[in-house]
Amino acid sequence: MFIDIDCSQQKKYNQNAYGDYFTSKRYPETGRLVAVLSDGLGSGIKANILACMTATMLLKFLEEGSSIKKACETIMNSLPVCQVRKISYSTFSAIDSDEDGNVKIVEEGNPQFLWIRNGEILEPKFEVITSKEFPNRHMHIYHIKLEANDRLVFCSDGVTQAALGSKDLKLGLRREGLIEFVKKELLREPDISSSKLSKHIVKYAISKELDRKPKDDVSAVCVYYREPRKSIVFTGPPYHQDKDKYYAKAFIEFDGKKAISGGTTANLISRELSIPIKANVNYNIGKLPAISYMEGIDLVTEGILTLTRTYEYLESGEYKDDAAGDLMKFLLDTDCINFMVGAKLNQAHYDPNLPIEIEIRKNIIKKISDILQNKYYKKVTIQYM
Amino acid sequence: MEKIKVEICLGTACFVMGGADLQDLSDIIPLKFGEKVEVLGNTCLDLCSTEYGKAPFVKVNDFIIEKATKDKVIAKINEILSTQEK
Repeated sequence: MFIDIDCSQQKKYNQNAYGDYFTSKRYPETGRLVAVLSDGLGSGIKANILACMTATMLLKFLEEGSSIKKACETIMNSLPVCQVRKISYSTFSAIDSDEDGNVKIVEEGNPQFLWIRNGEILEPKFEVITSKEFPNRHMHIYHIKLEANDRLVFCSDGVTQAALGSKDLKLGLRREGLIEFVKKELLREPDISSSKLSKHIVKYAISKELDRKPKDDVSAVCVYYREPRKSIVFTGPPYHQDKDKYYAKAFIEFDGKKAISGGTTANLISRELSIPIKANVNYNIGKLPAISYMEGIDLVTEGILTLTRTYEYLESGEYKDDAAGDLMKFLLDTDCINFMVGAKLNQAHYDPNLPIEIEIRKNIIKKISDILQNKYYKKVTIQYM
Repeated sequence: MEKIKVEICLGTACFVMGGADLQDLSDIIPLKFGEKVEVLGNTCLDLCSTEYGKAPFVKVNDFIIEKATKDKVIAKINEILSTQEK
């Protein structure tokens, strides 16, 4: 199973920094995923620093192998108290999950998360731990077991307290309002991605505010536990030519979406599997070679230039309607991405007369893989051939 | 008369060494030669790795043009057409 997780945020009106902070890390080898959402006291830069420190320290603790209970307890006991408001500097929700659906959640001060199964809210049991140092701080610890298509929704109080004091929502949106909205969204689009759902929640909370100006930082983190959507990208010819057939066969038999990135690679697959290539010469947008077509393969592009541009698009989050834009959409549309990277070098690519810098294939794939994992929370594996 | 086949290499090295501009041939050739010539793209003609440093490549029928330019390609088409007419 795959854990589709994403976060959407909006700053408090008139602030130039986010006062909530979200961070997560995925471990492809073990299938573990840890994530933290922290809400810093106040707003703006001060809140941003507090939330960022809390979330990154907590994530680091978890990464180092501390149990979530111990890590959260340490943070809870060590967070300082604001001298003015006499409350703790930041609140947090921490998630530690695996691909078998075992999830440990710790909340301290943040609104209680939602657990949705078949459109209904489940109310899990939790253990309460009170801080020895600060009796007003309580940690809620949950151990839950997810089933396929279950969802979790975490948020900062900017969501549940949206429109607080307004005529229609005197007490704000509250948990009930959030539940009602999420249920409606899931009914309208049962397969909605975590990315889309979190964006919709934030947008909805802001829409409730007067003049759509949020009075607090608004964050929503969604988790969707589902069957993974798999894809494979074959780029570069294998180092040993006698293995071409073997790898071509492994590629075509892959159960998921398929892309080829590289002219020589496309020729190789075409030759080994007798699939003709239809290259397009009339379509040249964005100064990249156009995509080609092969039966049974979802996307065929040129190699290095397209991959380099795809990396730029992934970095900026914006793309153009060209081959790299198509490859970016292909990658973001799936959860588990396998790269088959041929180690054979094309000497012509290293000709100093070439007017632009051409990256080494291994390097650019490594960069794409890192950004897909760290920014887009994808599960990536790379196989060198 | 059989159509003349022009294949433009769209591989990485060819594309950056001038192949991108050669794609204009898909507009120029039909205007100049009508139905007599067919322009196609090729994902990679696999010539740069053997003939190092001579990209971009265009194949006109079985003839390979290295360091191809639009003028070179049009000249080759003219040459083939003139021999066909004789």
